[in-house]
Amino acid sequence: MNKKSGMAVKDKNRKGYFGEFGGQFVPETLMTPLHELESSYIKLIKNRRFIAELEEMLGSFAGRPTPLYLAKNLTALCKGAKIYLKREDLTHTGAHKINNAIGQALLAKHMGKTRIIAETGAGQHGVATAAVSAAMGLECTVYMGTVDMERQKPNVQRMQLLGATVTAVNNGSKTLKDAINEAIRDWVTNVKTSHYLIGSVLGPHPYPVMVRNFQRVIGVEARAQVLKKEKRLPDYLVAAIGGGSNSIGLFHEFLNDRKVKMVGVEAGGLGTKTGKHAARFAGGSPGILHGTLSYVLQDRSGQITETYSMAAGLDYPSIGPEHAWLHQTGRVEYTSVTDKEALHAFKLLSAKEGIIPAFESAHALAYGMKLASRQPKGRIVIINLSGRGDKDLLTNIDK
Amino acid sequence: MMNKKLIDPFRAAFHNTHEAGRVAFMPFLVAGDPDMKRSLAIFKAVSKYADMLEIGFPYTDPLADGPTIQAADERALKSGINTAKVFDLIKQLRGFYKKPVTVLVYANIVYQYGVERFYKTCAGAGIQGVLIPDVPYEEAAPFVANAKKYGVCPIFMITRTTTAGRLRNILKYAEGYLYLVSVLGVTGSRNSLQEDTTGFIKSIRKQTSLPLALGFGISKAEQIEQAARAGIDGVIAGSAIINVIENHLENPAAAAEAFIKGLLRPLDYQASIRS
Repeated sequence: MNKKSGMAVKDKNRKGYFGEFGGQFVPETLMTPLHELESSYIKLIKNRRFIAELEEMLGSFAGRPTPLYLAKNLTALCKGAKIYLKREDLTHTGAHKINNAIGQALLAKHMGKTRIIAETGAGQHGVATAAVSAAMGLECTVYMGTVDMERQKPNVQRMQLLGATVTAVNNGSKTLKDAINEAIRDWVTNVKTSHYLIGSVLGPHPYPVMVRNFQRVIGVEARAQVLKKEKRLPDYLVAAIGGGSNSIGLFHEFLNDRKVKMVGVEAGGLGTKTGKHAARFAGGSPGILHGTLSYVLQDRSGQITETYSMAAGLDYPSIGPEHAWLHQTGRVEYTSVTDKEALHAFKLLSAKEGIIPAFESAHALAYGMKLASRQPKGRIVIINLSGRGDKDLLTNIDK
Repeated sequence: MMNKKLIDPFRAAFHNTHEAGRVAFMPFLVAGDPDMKRSLAIFKAVSKYADMLEIGFPYTDPLADGPTIQAADERALKSGINTAKVFDLIKQLRGFYKKPVTVLVYANIVYQYGVERFYKTCAGAGIQGVLIPDVPYEEAAPFVANAKKYGVCPIFMITRTTTAGRLRNILKYAEGYLYLVSVLGVTGSRNSLQEDTTGFIKSIRKQTSLPLALGFGISKAEQIEQAARAGIDGVIAGSAIINVIENHLENPAAAAEAFIKGLLRPLDYQASIRS
C-alpha cells in the first residue's frame, strides 16, 4: 500500500491480540462503537484519498519527514558507537504524538464525528490533538490529571490557546491513568458524536494496532535514512516507553531485521527497588487495565498501584500489549533508567548538542549513551528523540 | 470434570415478585464501604428490602462507574479491603440473607484471583450471579465456562448501543437476568429515565424470556413505576443509596434504610400497575 506513511502491515496474531496480550475489555456500550471504528479504519487505510490527505497533513502540517541527526558531540563523549537521533522533537507541536493525532482525527472526521476526546499525561498528546482538532474544525476536550497539569503547565496553556477544553482530573493518582478513566467515561456518555483519540498503543483493540500503524512512519523514515547515510542497518534502536507509541513507531519497521537489536526504556523513577517507579516489566505482572491485557503494576488483589516518574508521559501503570508480547518473545529488550540518570542526559544533550529533549526522551538518551559507550566504534545506535523539552523547564531541574 | 446442573435461583426470585405484583427491588452496595463493620451493618439494614442484592468488589479504576461509586470504592480500599475480605463479608451476609446475590467485579480482580478459583469461591460463598462490566461477550468464553462449571449465573449488560446481532450472541451466554443499562454513560443517580426507556425495555422484552432488570440512574419512585409499566422485572438502585451512605458515614445503615423506605413507599400500589 503506502510506503511513506507506513500504513501497510499485516498482523499474524488472533484478531486484537498480540500472543496472549491485548483484547477488548470494555463495557458493552463501547463494543459497537469499537467495531465501527475498526471497520472504518480498515476501509479508510485502503482509500487513496484518505492516504493522500494523511500524507499532506503529515508533510505540510506536522513537518515530516523528521531528520535523522548524527549527534557528533555525544558520540565523541561516549567514545563508542555512533549515536543518531531521530528528531521527532522537530515535528509541529513538538513530539511524535502529532503523527497519531493527525491519523485518528482524519478518521474521526471521515466517520462523521464532530467532537474529539483525549487524555494526556505530559500534555504532548493533548497539544497535538488540540492543534489537529483546531485545524480540522473539531471540538476538543482533553482530560489531564491535576498533578500533571501542575508539572506541565505550559502545555495546559497551549491546549487552551488552541481552543481545547482542558478538564482537570482529581481522582486517584491524579495522573495519566485517571485521565484515561475520565476520557473513557466521557466516551461512554457521548459515544454517538465523539471519537476517543487515544494517545498511545493502549486500550482495547483496534487502538493498539491503529496507533502503532499511525506511528510506524518514524521507523519507516529512520530505516530509509540510515540506509542512505550509512549504507547499512543500525545495531541498536533505543526508545523511551510510557504506553509505548514512540518506541513501537520506531521499532516496528525493523522487527524483521533480525540483526537490529531494540531496547525499550521504562521510567525507573527513584529506582525500581523503591516502589516509586513506572517500570512495568521490572515490577509488574500480566493484568487487565483500560481495555487491554498487558503488563500492569498492581497488588496481589489486582488493584492498580500508583506509579512515579518525573516524566509525566511515562508515569503510567500499564504498557501497550504489543510490548508485552515483544517482551515475552524476547525480540525487544526492556530496561529502565532513574529520574537522576534521565535528568543528567537532559542537561547533557542540551549543553553538548544544543537540543533540549523532553524528560521522557531523556530516558532513552540516558540508556542510549550508556549503551553506545560500551559498543566498539563503527556500531550504530539510533535513539528516538520523541519530543522536545520546553514543557519541562518549569520543573526544578537542579535537584 | 463436575458440571453442576444450574438451578436458576433468579427465576424463582423474579417469579415471587411477579406473584406479589411488583418489580423486584435490587439494591447495589459496595463491599467494605466505608469499612467492613459498617458495611455489614448496611447489608443487614438494606437486605430487608431487597428481593435480590448486587454487591460490588471495590476497584481502583472502575471505569463503568461514576463518581459516587468510585468514591465508595476508594473508601473501601482505604479501609484495607481485598478480594478475600469481600468473600468473607459475603459469607457473613449469607448468614442472614437467603435470596440471590450477584457480585459486580472488574475483570482484573477476577483475573488476578484466577478465573476458575474465583467462580469456585463464589459458589462456595453462596453467590449466584457474576457480572463483569468490562468483559463483553467477545472476551467472555473462559469466564462463562467457569461460571457454568460451578453453577453460577453469568450476568450480562445490554445497553443502548447493543445491536440485534450482539444481543443474540449475548443471549447464548446470559443466565439469571439481563442487566439493562438505561443510559449512555456511567453509573450515578439521575432524576428521570432517559428518553424512550420504555421502547428500549419493550424491544428487549420481545427477544428474550430472561428476566430484565433496569439499572444506572435509578433514584426515584416515579422511575420505578415507569419502568414497571414498560414491563421491567426488576430495578437496580446503587448510586442513590451510596450517596446517602456517603453523607451519613457516622451511621450509614440507618440512613440507607430510611432512604429505601422513602423510595419504596409510593410503590405500594404497584400491584395495580402490573395487573
